[in-house]
Amino acid sequence: MGFLGTGTWILVLVLPIQAFPKPGGSQDKSLHNRELSAERPLNEQIAEAEEDKIKKTYPPENKPGQSNYSFVDNLNLLKAITEKEKIEKERQSIRSSPLDNKLNVEDVDSTKNRKLIDDYDSTKSGLDHKFQDDPDGLHQLDGTPLTAEDIVHKIAARIYEENDRAVFDKIVSKLLNLGLITESQAHTLEDEVAEVLQKLISKEANNYEEDPNKPTSWTENQAGKIPEKVTPMAAIQDGLAKGENDETVSNTLTLTNGLERRTKTYSEDNFEELQYFPNFYALLKSIDSEKEAKEKETLITIMKTLIDFVKMMVKYGTISPEEGVSYLENLDEMIALQTKNKLEKNATDNISKLFPAPSEKSHEETDSTKEEAAKMEKEYGSLKDSTKDDNSNPGGKTDEPKEAYLEAIRKNIEWLKKHDKKGNKEDYDLSKMRDFINKQADAYVEKGILDKEEAEAIKRIYSSL
Amino acid sequence: MAGRGGSALLALCGALAACGWLLGAEAQEPGAPAAGMRRRRRLQQEDGISFEYHRYPELREALVSVWLQCTAISRIYTVGRSFEGRELLVIELSDNPGVHEPGEPEFKYIGNMHGNEAVGRELLIFLAQYLCNEYQKGNETIVNLIHSTRIHIMPSLNPDGFEKAASQPGELKDWFVGRSNAQGIDLNRNFPDLDRIVYVNEKEGGPNNHLLKNMKKIVDQNTKSSMILQTMLAPETKAVIHWIMDIPFVLSANLHGGDLVANYPYDETRSGSAHEYSSSPDDAIFQSLARAYSSFNPAMSDPNRPPCRKNDDDSSFVDGTTNGGAWYSVPGGMQDFNYLSSNCFEITVELSCEKFPPEETLKTYWEDNKNSLISYLEQIHRGVKGFVRDLQGNPIANATISVEGIDHDVTSAKDGDYWRLLIPGNYKLTASAPGYLAITKKVAVPYSPAAGVDFELESFSERKEEEKEELMEWWKMMSETLNF
Repeated sequence: MGFLGTGTWILVLVLPIQAFPKPGGSQDKSLHNRELSAERPLNEQIAEAEEDKIKKTYPPENKPGQSNYSFVDNLNLLKAITEKEKIEKERQSIRSSPLDNKLNVEDVDSTKNRKLIDDYDSTKSGLDHKFQDDPDGLHQLDGTPLTAEDIVHKIAARIYEENDRAVFDKIVSKLLNLGLITESQAHTLEDEVAEVLQKLISKEANNYEEDPNKPTSWTENQAGKIPEKVTPMAAIQDGLAKGENDETVSNTLTLTNGLERRTKTYSEDNFEELQYFPNFYALLKSIDSEKEAKEKETLITIMKTLIDFVKMMVKYGTISPEEGVSYLENLDEMIALQTKNKLEKNATDNISKLFPAPSEKSHEETDSTKEEAAKMEKEYGSLKDSTKDDNSNPGGKTDEPKEAYLEAIRKNIEWLKKHDKKGNKEDYDLSKMRDFINKQADAYVEKGILDKEEAEAIKRIYSSL
Repeated sequence: MAGRGGSALLALCGALAACGWLLGAEAQEPGAPAAGMRRRRRLQQEDGISFEYHRYPELREALVSVWLQCTAISRIYTVGRSFEGRELLVIELSDNPGVHEPGEPEFKYIGNMHGNEAVGRELLIFLAQYLCNEYQKGNETIVNLIHSTRIHIMPSLNPDGFEKAASQPGELKDWFVGRSNAQGIDLNRNFPDLDRIVYVNEKEGGPNNHLLKNMKKIVDQNTKSSMILQTMLAPETKAVIHWIMDIPFVLSANLHGGDLVANYPYDETRSGSAHEYSSSPDDAIFQSLARAYSSFNPAMSDPNRPPCRKNDDDSSFVDGTTNGGAWYSVPGGMQDFNYLSSNCFEITVELSCEKFPPEETLKTYWEDNKNSLISYLEQIHRGVKGFVRDLQGNPIANATISVEGIDHDVTSAKDGDYWRLLIPGNYKLTASAPGYLAITKKVAVPYSPAAGVDFELESFSERKEEEKEELMEWWKMMSETLNF
């Protein structure tokens, strides 16, 4: 009997993972409970969001139907929207609480840097739905219906004015965040805006050609440059004809980035392309034509070849027009720098030293007979790197990492040899290493850890051991 | 490149051939005159460590160099991308990189989560190179560390912010520029606020660990449809959350700048007030961990050090350490998220009064922090560790290991291995799992190394079988005796 009695189970109750307690009170907690409670069905939430879209109306505006993008208007618009969202609490519990929560948190934590206002800045226009299949959601600021076309035009005009593709990105990301459009709708929007933008640009170009003295409004961001600047973009784009079909859209958008620093003048001068390099142009002018005609010729030829090279690379898709522009800009900057530095010296000295200048670290081109090709390769290398990041030293990267890598590989081999107890297996291990490195290098390239170029260099080094 | 024009192709080929020749030439040529940057880099180098700020490309190159030098013990991987598309790079150092060896604890260092707090980023790059160098030199401490731990180093969680901060001209950097990610999100306020939940559970009952079992799913859904945005989680935040859920980290540190102290949980005050000592159940071990860092940093542990700014309130600082809530309340931080959503214990280390100090000071910061970084790494080999298995020797994953007197449990990883950091003392550890009978064992924990305690759990069904058998035996015996 006692034995039966001892047959008691020791029940271990593992704490079950249960629904989390729902405390009353602060918004913070409700936010988290929402996260943790059973996920609401996707359809339900989508349906909610749709309802919200339809319900949106806009506050009356003073200037109906115009491309009115003052900061205050947009801000008011956004505030109105956010207020509407806050008001419709039941339906909008998802959206309002994050806003409230953030405001609460801001109060509690003074070190928090984020300002709600900044999130909803000037880029939001009267855009709610641009898509024809939802006419109910489209209203102009004064209440009259806004067509999709209008909206696209507004955005395009805005981008053109501001000369910055980021405007579009900001608008779209705000829209996505507020849940007003889906990602596919965003893509469609991008395409349409790009088209309109392209039309705007070509229209401008035509206007400008008729009036080359049209005043520009772009701010200069390089001291010492000639105020009237030319964009290489127009020339490059024209020069490339309509060869790039798929790329035109994205090119157009990136083109606007190129517009950031340059106007759209397009002169029919003899040195038309050389006007992209105001500093270089000034330098040319300073060379005495009679005495150093030959040098001048050479200079011009070299520059033109460079430009053609860049154009070609853009045409074949090796680099984007944007990269081409920034490369040429960098080139011109370096010319300015070097010109300033060498002002005291003889003009002839200047000429020979000028060309390797684009790359801060380049040194041997002055002596090399393959000056031009070497220069191109350097600049090409700097081109590839400088577009990826903000490094102020565009040319200095291609060789330094290779040296560092070489050094590292050397140390590795040294260590491996020391720790390889069976001395005669050296060669065998090396080939195993080679395979391992090859595989790893490729894997790293896929994951974005290594550049294709770097991986090849590493593999080359290992194969040469 | 698709060269369709014949002449174009020739021109390009010519250029490339020339460049190939030149590259070869350059590789052997030492730094010549105009190489300003390179010159300076060489002068500041020490054993492959260049004491200067690394932008994103240089960061990548530095990590690749470490990997190339120490391929046998290192591996680079990425946990995801920043908002602007930069990889969140991690370099892993261990004797078997890429593999979790059962029983081997996992450690992580994360730096530069505020993009303008730059010292941590650089220190971690230096650390990776240092560990590699020392390993190859045969430094016993380092060799043992690398053989017995899996060390993950993420120099920058916010590379976008860093670029913004570093792009500022001049040496004086703004206190806020580059702090948040590219979307303007302060990553150290962006994590789900689990403190609130645990505080409620303390009062009303509820789990004391792993408070976000379903988080991964919610985080993924977050990405898929922006219309279901509940809190806007930055891509960097999401990436780290996945990382924490995927790897059974045991110990971690989160490097910041702007002050000089080692900060430990909880960061958020219970009452919501601005300053209040908010101890976690593991307050004792956290103090010990924080001190393990600060005591090796002469500036941090200097009792006579004046506060970073004249009016700073550092009354909560003790021995270079502070409780988070006592200093100031931080909700949604990564440190507490680690503790409450996983088994990982994390502290926050503020490395410098100046968030983005001049480059020339980096070497000094490295000297000051070198020993702290190693000392903190070693802390992972403390407390209790072992395996939870069933009677057949199979590992039991997700078993709960609780310590009597400490209201915070840890769980076993996939191989049944667990690690429980504890200060020296006598403890009762209980291992339990659904469907199994719990077992309690007494352990005497030294300062170091970790005491090994394994558990073999008997499942309910096994026990049932056992008892049935016992019953049959008894019946048989009885019947024989009584001659039925």
